[in-house]
Amino acid sequence: MSRLLVVEDGGEYEEFARLFLAERWEIVAAHSADEALALMRDGAEAMLIDLRFERAPKEDLIGDVKGMADKLFAGDEARAARWLKEQQGTLILGALREAGHHQPAVFVHDFPPRRLSNLRKLYGRVGAVRAFDAAAIVRTLEGLAEEPV
Amino acid sequence: MKALSWTGALALLVLTGCHGGPPEEGQASAAERWARARARWHIEREPDAWADWRAIEPESPEGREARQLLGEAQPRYRAFIESVRGGEPDVWEQFERAARIAPMDPALYLPLARAFRSRYREEPDNEQLKFRAIEYYRKFVLLNPRHPDAETALSELFELDPEGTARFELPAAEAQAEAAVPRAETPTWPLWVALAALVLAIAAVARLLWRVRVSLVPLDVLADRRPELHPAITYLVGSLRHELLKHRIGAVGDAVDALRRGGATEGQRAFLQNRLYGGEPLTEAWGGHLAAFERALGPELDLARRDPAFRRADRAIHTISALEQGVSRGDARAGAKLAAAHAELRALDRHLSGLVARLVRTPVDGALFREVVDEVRGEYAAGQVTLDEVVIRGPSPAPMVEVFRVDLVLILKNVVRNAILAVGQDEAPRRIGLDVETAVEITGEEVVRVHVRDTSVQRFSTTDLYARKMDRGLGLVTAALARYDGAILVEDGGQGFAKSVTLRFFRAYAEDELAA
Repeated sequence: MSRLLVVEDGGEYEEFARLFLAERWEIVAAHSADEALALMRDGAEAMLIDLRFERAPKEDLIGDVKGMADKLFAGDEARAARWLKEQQGTLILGALREAGHHQPAVFVHDFPPRRLSNLRKLYGRVGAVRAFDAAAIVRTLEGLAEEPV
Repeated sequence: MKALSWTGALALLVLTGCHGGPPEEGQASAAERWARARARWHIEREPDAWADWRAIEPESPEGREARQLLGEAQPRYRAFIESVRGGEPDVWEQFERAARIAPMDPALYLPLARAFRSRYREEPDNEQLKFRAIEYYRKFVLLNPRHPDAETALSELFELDPEGTARFELPAAEAQAEAAVPRAETPTWPLWVALAALVLAIAAVARLLWRVRVSLVPLDVLADRRPELHPAITYLVGSLRHELLKHRIGAVGDAVDALRRGGATEGQRAFLQNRLYGGEPLTEAWGGHLAAFERALGPELDLARRDPAFRRADRAIHTISALEQGVSRGDARAGAKLAAAHAELRALDRHLSGLVARLVRTPVDGALFREVVDEVRGEYAAGQVTLDEVVIRGPSPAPMVEVFRVDLVLILKNVVRNAILAVGQDEAPRRIGLDVETAVEITGEEVVRVHVRDTSVQRFSTTDLYARKMDRGLGLVTAALARYDGAILVEDGGQGFAKSVTLRFFRAYAEDELAA
């Protein structure tokens, strides 16, 4: 059975996936970019990614706090760190793509269409569903799988 | 006019009781007191918030910002009063525009009351005008008890509303604190007078309660009426949707469906049990969110009775709460009821998503830039500077930001004023430029960067701005920007300019761009 990589800061996505998506995929879960990259070495067919990592310890987060602080927050590193935490899922997706993992990825979030379009331009096969809806997640990931890489 | 009625005393007591900061007022920093003062006006709309704004030390950056905003708002309030006097339409829009900047000087309540009285005399059948006049006379007397016109105002109030208003006594200068207490001596009036007064007082309270009741509104109406509350509404709605409607309600959709069909596995029932009944009880979590809304958005908001979407959601939460036993048994009837309640809460989530999508958004375009430049060049000091060129570039379509237009104008005026005055100290050619660009960040979000470029040789850095080393208002801009999650940076000016003072915001999208 092919694998679905779940990336989140807590355990809710994994719990949901094991209950409602386990017939379709073997579920593997990561809680940081490092863990996600390590699990992807053994491959996965698709990814289910949380956006906000508010509960993650600081050392598990990725992103250039200083660089972003200078670029966007007038040097305020606390604001930059908060922003990177709230958007951590997109950064982890970026890291996975950079490492060559271009599998379909889905967020549970109601992104404005334009932002989703931006994410697709940046990271290729990315989708979003508004709520935890197993059928919608499967549909979205299968639709993305048919798109060219 | 010499006796203080109990209703008047009560009103004064309530008003004075609502005022006053916490005990640590003296120890709070100017920034903290400024934040509280802003909240007292922009969130709570306390008529006496003006005093709090004035009380911020004028030499502090916060005090300077408060005074600048008060100074900008008062002419607008005066224009509003003139419009009331002239019977012009849409006067409340004028008031709201001023109110978004700063509170009204309480001394202006008297000319406002007189403006409504004057209109009432012209239209004696329009009782609303009379009620407005009475309201503002009362506010003036209560907020300005020692004003030289207070006695006159009281007489004019008495003429308009001799019985319902009851009678006030202006507090003695040496004992203002006692003014809120009813007089101790027993009146020597006959019993029927006392009874009549009691009936009138009850009628006045009933009328007040009725008026309060009819003025309560649901969240979407409050958002339409009070755009200054949009940032708070965005935050509160975001918390409710993320913490409760997504992770506890939205997450169980498939499990609820399985239960309704009678096919929920043990694991799915455990999942439902955990999300809906584990941890903080749903009713308490829901109540906590409602309380946060009502605390932050003020007494006009009535989610429980006036907001149909919240009322239905409230019933749904209590229904779910009552179904715990049935859900744990896997009972299909409980599943059907749970599914209906769940659908109500999903509907609330969609409703809130739509509401947030139509909150405040301001396009950053050439028209905005031209308005700012024209206004600044109309000022005395900036008007003395001869500019050789003003380069304005606004893209089409214009990007939008989640900032009130009035605040964006205020921020830009400060930056443009600084640029014009700076180039005025240099030799010609003197040029300034305004333009805007957008860029996509690694998160997929877009940032909007508004550049105010100039040819001045004056050098300063972003650090200087945030260390408040700058005069002429740029220090104030940093504080204003922080309220909108924006930032200000000093950058190279690019071709033809020496430097750019750049304002950074996150881009917002129009309602149709947000539609799923």
